[in-house]
Amino acid sequence: MKTIKFLTLSVLFIGFTSCSEDEDDSSTPLLELESQTITNLYAPQIGGQGQGDISGEFTKFNFATGQSTTSETEWDIAFRGSTIIVNGGVSLGTNDEPARTGNAAAYLETGTFTNISAVNPVLFEQDSDTGYAIPSGGGNGWYNYNPSLNQIDPIPGKVLVFRTHDGTYAKVEILSYYKDFDSSVGANARYYTFNYVYQPNEGVTTF
Amino acid sequence: MSLNKNNFSLFFLLFLTVTVFSQERVSDSTKTETLGEVIISATRTLRQLSSLPLPAQLVSKKEIQAVNSLRLSDILNEQTGLITVPDFGGGEGIQLQGLDSQYTLILIDGVPLIGRSAGTLDISRITVGNIKQIEIVKGASSSLYGSEALGGVINIITDTPKHGTHGSINSRVGSFETYDTSAEIGYKKNKISINAFINNFRSDGYDLNDTDALNTVEPFENYTFNTKLTYDFNDKTHLFVSGRYFTQGQEYAASGDLRGESSLREWNTQAKLSHSYNDKWQSDVEFYATRYKADEFLDTEDNFRFSASDFNQLLIRPEVRATYNPTDKSAFIAGVGWNHETLVRTDFSSKPEFNSPYAFVQYDTNPTEKLNVILGARFDNHSEYESQFSPKVALRYELSEKLAVKGSVGYGFKAPDFRQLYFDFSNGTVGYTVLGYNAVPTRIAELQQSGDIVNLFVPLTDFEGQLNAENSIGFNIGADYNPISSLKINLNIFRNNINDLIDTRIIANKINGQNVFSYYNVNEVYTQGLEFNSTLNLTTELKISGGYQLLFAKDKTAEDAFENGLVFARETPSSPSIQLEKDDYFGLYNRSRHMANFKVFYDLIDWGMDANIRGTYRSNYGLFDTNGNTYLDRYDDYVDGYAIWDIAINKTIYKNYRFGLGIDNLFAFTDTQNISNIPGRILYGSLNIQF
Repeated sequence: MKTIKFLTLSVLFIGFTSCSEDEDDSSTPLLELESQTITNLYAPQIGGQGQGDISGEFTKFNFATGQSTTSETEWDIAFRGSTIIVNGGVSLGTNDEPARTGNAAAYLETGTFTNISAVNPVLFEQDSDTGYAIPSGGGNGWYNYNPSLNQIDPIPGKVLVFRTHDGTYAKVEILSYYKDFDSSVGANARYYTFNYVYQPNEGVTTF
Repeated sequence: MSLNKNNFSLFFLLFLTVTVFSQERVSDSTKTETLGEVIISATRTLRQLSSLPLPAQLVSKKEIQAVNSLRLSDILNEQTGLITVPDFGGGEGIQLQGLDSQYTLILIDGVPLIGRSAGTLDISRITVGNIKQIEIVKGASSSLYGSEALGGVINIITDTPKHGTHGSINSRVGSFETYDTSAEIGYKKNKISINAFINNFRSDGYDLNDTDALNTVEPFENYTFNTKLTYDFNDKTHLFVSGRYFTQGQEYAASGDLRGESSLREWNTQAKLSHSYNDKWQSDVEFYATRYKADEFLDTEDNFRFSASDFNQLLIRPEVRATYNPTDKSAFIAGVGWNHETLVRTDFSSKPEFNSPYAFVQYDTNPTEKLNVILGARFDNHSEYESQFSPKVALRYELSEKLAVKGSVGYGFKAPDFRQLYFDFSNGTVGYTVLGYNAVPTRIAELQQSGDIVNLFVPLTDFEGQLNAENSIGFNIGADYNPISSLKINLNIFRNNINDLIDTRIIANKINGQNVFSYYNVNEVYTQGLEFNSTLNLTTELKISGGYQLLFAKDKTAEDAFENGLVFARETPSSPSIQLEKDDYFGLYNRSRHMANFKVFYDLIDWGMDANIRGTYRSNYGLFDTNGNTYLDRYDDYVDGYAIWDIAINKTIYKNYRFGLGIDNLFAFTDTQNISNIPGRILYGSLNIQF
């Protein structure tokens, strides 16, 4: 798995945190927002699209470390093909789906990545035995499916807001489902490139 | 390019020979003074084109012959505001006032063509070899013609024989191994006239994209047979009978391993008995029947039948009309008729049958010398969808001898087609299902019973009613201006408000993760713009014409989404999303903002020669959403605008022999990625013999 850290600290958010004077007064200094781009995170799946039942390990990701992980508990979200699950709630029961051990949750919001600056906790949903918090299917969740090109495109303006398995928050904008943004070859599919901002301070709901 | 060089060189040599060695003057004694162009489609009565309150265009046989057109698609593409758009099945449908092919009614001698397997009526299947005139009426015309005449009507008027026995043979040979051969023979004497026409058109097709095993257009061959008979019982009673048969075979391939054949067969028969009771009263009794049959199959390499499909549509239409002319300044026309339609098709839930009686009436009057008013309405009852009432009003007022203004408002509709009502199709490899509106309740119940349905998103009660016909109100306001006798200028501003557009939506999830789709009335769409046409007869020998159409075609729901800030895009694939504004919405797919044409016709009467150069232009357009937000916006990829130039030169010798040479698409424009119906440069030679 090649995840490349591009930048750890975004100058963009310095201005924001400096505005929050109340928080500056508190005794423990706040950790800074972590803003990163993850490139070509591979999320393979076996089967599907008329090739039999879907199976295969999910690719798990941890926002606090900014890395993919194979831990069975220390993960926040996980990818398999176009499916995204969270480490919270219960399993839908598909093949090879990991047990949920944390309290992660998610919702989708429409807007630009920078304009979505606060978490709305009432919107959170967890995975359940009837469906995932991030709905699957073209046009339902984070992507549109173009049947004539057999192509999955992230819907512009869709931001995924997550609660991590241990109660902090992150927001994600998926940029591409294809390796190096190149959708011309089918084999390039299932490589995620996304931006995220991680709020490492427990209880702080702003980005 | 696979040009048959031998044949072409032969034509070229012949052409040169006759051009160089036959400089004797060809007397053009038949320079008849016409009373002005006459059109029948606009009012279903013979009307002078120049005094019509509706936007209409005529294409004459002379123009068709001068440009050596072969198919209806060739010649219509050169007319202002018209463009053919290829569909997935390879057919070419006409776009008129920014409306899709399914909203324009195509008639031959006043009766409709059928065979819209996926909505598109492929006009490249119509030969122009025996066409006397093409009439194009723009704006909703359902008040006379009922369903499909939402954007307008295109009526192809075929040749009628002249007195005596005449015949002609026409042959054109061109690039891509394309051969077009026609023969026509006509006889007319006293009470009887009869003519017969046959056309053979074949081509090796072409391939714009060498990377796959398929051709862009596979080789095909078709035949058109047409015969007409008229008989005058006496001065007052006339009989007209015509028959047309079209058959086409084409190779059909889905991949290198899957090959087969597609075939089309179509016949049309029309019989009409006309009687004049006196100076004021006249009536027609007409019977029309047509069948369109399309079959195709694919076999694997080891001759296993991979897939087969068929489409078999029948229309039977008796109609009775009466015209009454109380004065020479006014005319009534009224008619009643019955459409009976059946379809047998692969993937249908039943063998549907449509029955639709209808009645129409129209009053055309000139209350004053300068004012013309047309009022009309039609009522279509229907067995499968809500009945339609289609009124229309049109006015024309002569401000001066040089300037007239005109305007019309009309209702147009298009009935839901068989597919939208009865389709029952499940994709074998991917597993999704498409159901027609009427097929939903029973099929969903079956799928629920078999445990295939996980979630039903739309309650079945939504399918208890009837699917509405797509309908529109069309407005046209224009002016005819003739500042000098040799210059004609026409301007028309149009707006079509279309409601209840039928679209597909997901109605249920299946256990296999795929969706069930069905049809529903949803969108509100409009097309608006202006059309400008001008013709300048510089001398009797030189005619210059130009046309332009400005078009905005938009979905109102999409406009609202942009206005409400719900649409986002990325400037580059890797950049963060930005919010789009109303101005960023381009509109519907496959619509160009600008289309224009420019033509110069030069008649060297003394030389028995004529030559022309024609250019058509369409500005950039989008074929599909390329940046994931499902809308066509400023940041999508567009097909670049393009211009196509054609030239033709013809020479007549010994009065009855006419040779032609020409190049279509002179600069060999192609866009192999996006435009499948432009094969590249076409060189051709043609020969026409009259006897």
